[in-house]
Amino acid sequence: MKKQNSFSKIFQSYGTIIAGLCVILVFSALRPDAFFTVRNLINISRQISLQVIIAIGATLIMCVGEFDLSIGAIASLGGVIAAKMAVAGVPLPFCFIAPLVICFVIGWINGWIVTKFSVLSFITTLGMSTILAGFTFWLTGGSTVFQNIPKTFTYLGSKSILSIPYLSIIMLIFTVIFWFVMRHTAFGRKLYAIGGNEIAARVSGINVKKNKKLAFALCGAMSALTGILMASRLGSAHPTGGDSFFLPSYAAVYLGSTVFKEGTPNIWGTFVGAAILGILANGLTILQVPTYMQDIVTGLIIILAVIAQKLGQGDSK
Amino acid sequence: MIPSFNGIENAYLGLEYETKKDGFTVDWEKMRKRVVETTKALKIDLDLDLPASALSPAQRTMLEIVRAMMTDSKLLILDEPTASLTDKESELLFKLINLLKEKNTAVLYVTHRMDEIFRLTDRITVLKNGEKVATVLTKAMNKEKIISLMTDNWASEKLETVKKFGKTLLTVEHIQSKDKTVQNVSFKVRAGEILGVFGLGGSGRTESLECIYGLRALADGKIILEDQDFFNVTPEKSLKNGLVLICEDRRGMALIPRLNVKQNIVLSTIDAHARYGIVDEQKELTHTNEKIAELSIKTEGPNQRVSQLSGGNQQKVVFAKALMSAPRVLLCDEPTQAVDVKTRAEIHRLLRKMADQGSGIVFVSSDLQEVLSISDNIVVMVNGKTSDLLENDGITSEQVLSICYQN
Repeated sequence: MKKQNSFSKIFQSYGTIIAGLCVILVFSALRPDAFFTVRNLINISRQISLQVIIAIGATLIMCVGEFDLSIGAIASLGGVIAAKMAVAGVPLPFCFIAPLVICFVIGWINGWIVTKFSVLSFITTLGMSTILAGFTFWLTGGSTVFQNIPKTFTYLGSKSILSIPYLSIIMLIFTVIFWFVMRHTAFGRKLYAIGGNEIAARVSGINVKKNKKLAFALCGAMSALTGILMASRLGSAHPTGGDSFFLPSYAAVYLGSTVFKEGTPNIWGTFVGAAILGILANGLTILQVPTYMQDIVTGLIIILAVIAQKLGQGDSK
Repeated sequence: MIPSFNGIENAYLGLEYETKKDGFTVDWEKMRKRVVETTKALKIDLDLDLPASALSPAQRTMLEIVRAMMTDSKLLILDEPTASLTDKESELLFKLINLLKEKNTAVLYVTHRMDEIFRLTDRITVLKNGEKVATVLTKAMNKEKIISLMTDNWASEKLETVKKFGKTLLTVEHIQSKDKTVQNVSFKVRAGEILGVFGLGGSGRTESLECIYGLRALADGKIILEDQDFFNVTPEKSLKNGLVLICEDRRGMALIPRLNVKQNIVLSTIDAHARYGIVDEQKELTHTNEKIAELSIKTEGPNQRVSQLSGGNQQKVVFAKALMSAPRVLLCDEPTQAVDVKTRAEIHRLLRKMADQGSGIVFVSSDLQEVLSISDNIVVMVNGKTSDLLENDGITSEQVLSICYQN
């Protein structure tokens, strides 16, 4: 009996990781030549990097029990601002920093509206997302920014060091930073406290509004970073380029919340979640599974992972 | 009541809607007719087209009675129906109740208001601690007799030692909350003193503490914490200045069930446990273990989820959190509620110890015997107002209750 308990505990804590490893094993067995190679693994790390970075921001928001629908639109805007500035001949560091600052402020405004007027973040950020999409369209006239982008602008997104892409390194650095922030700083603790019981957090002297605003602002900055890096990787910026990151981000956070800490969003969980989604996409493409089939499989896996975790919780009670 | 529904829809909640001949479309005319009939029979004047949210509390109560009478109920149970009504509105309700009585409906009227009991009832049943004490004829009773049934007339004993209190730590003068739940509350707590605050449900005990701590907006009054003006502060500021609130609602307002024992204990002192924003986990663990030992909290360890502890031990965690911020003034709201007997005694001892070490304690409880047994002085709250300060020296529970019921 006791053994079974500890087994179910292990499965509950690491079930998603085990499932992820199974996926890797299956792909490796089916296509050992193409899938489980150093080159492809490096490739996967680059493919998931942008998704991981934007999903880190979403993790912070989910931690405080809110929702940010505007991350995709913020990413698009961030990329477009960076590209436009680069085209205008602004020195490169400013091209990268300015959109980060602007989107930090946009996120802060999201948080300000949510906390000041206690409106649902869902609808606030839906509105913000629409505004930003319109604004980005206006900025670009609806077309992709690609002409006269300096070569140096694309280095960060396309070059590698010791055959490891910069993008993968940036992803790892931010994952470690935010893991540390969430796990070891007072700020991170406060976010988890707010998400766990907002009223109790307030009674315990935590400034709920300020910390929520900061979470939204950081989420905005991370979204912008994703947009900038995407523009750098592609050498162009499309006014809706960031939109496709939005849903997989939350899929990654939810998948990730089934990893390590039963039921709470956490940074390494999000990393693993995004990695599983990335590995699936990569492996299925190598197996030449049609895209629509990939979508079906990915959706099923997300739902199964969340059900499995709920069942595990029911077991332990 | 569903706020967005109008009178007819609300009256029909729980009933099958009338349908037209097709058995499918709602027959609003027929429904309206039946509701109007009921209101007429009850002599109630209500605009049935208004949504419930647009009605006054009294009108809402009327509508609820209409709903109850749609099916010619034989028994109507009213639980403190006048709690949110003005005197004038209550009059209307009382008329209606008398009308129902004439129509042979039995009414079970639950209240703590003496005047209503004597005005409306034929017989009275007194309950105490979940047990029936007696059922008596109203005619044969008066207020004093009822009160003596409600309590064993338990007199407080003079506390053994002669108490010398230190300087005044917290002064509250005539505070009033914006939402009017607190109307005129004044008291003082001195170092070394346990001030008991007793009041019936709805008298504004919890709300007063929330006002002082900064959880509820104040409209008027004066609060001074150790010579410092402390009007309309935030919980953050209260904690920093040594004022702590232990909430009545343990699960809802004090603990974060998902987090572990350690994280809950250091919750309000997390900044003090961090350097440059990074939590000093060694210090955190040491302090947590100290508190676990000091309060003898039964737990598997600092990393156990707080939701897995027993009620008494959860409350100890709440106290441990409060102690971490070294409070000078502790506001306790029903701190021994849903706690086992042993923990209850431990909490009483802890509060006395803290007082002896120079803190001021405000102890709010709805358990009169408990208030009388541990407080140095007592204030009684009635309808959002405080009574005079009573020195807890031979006070009887009847005395306190008669203040509660004086109006």
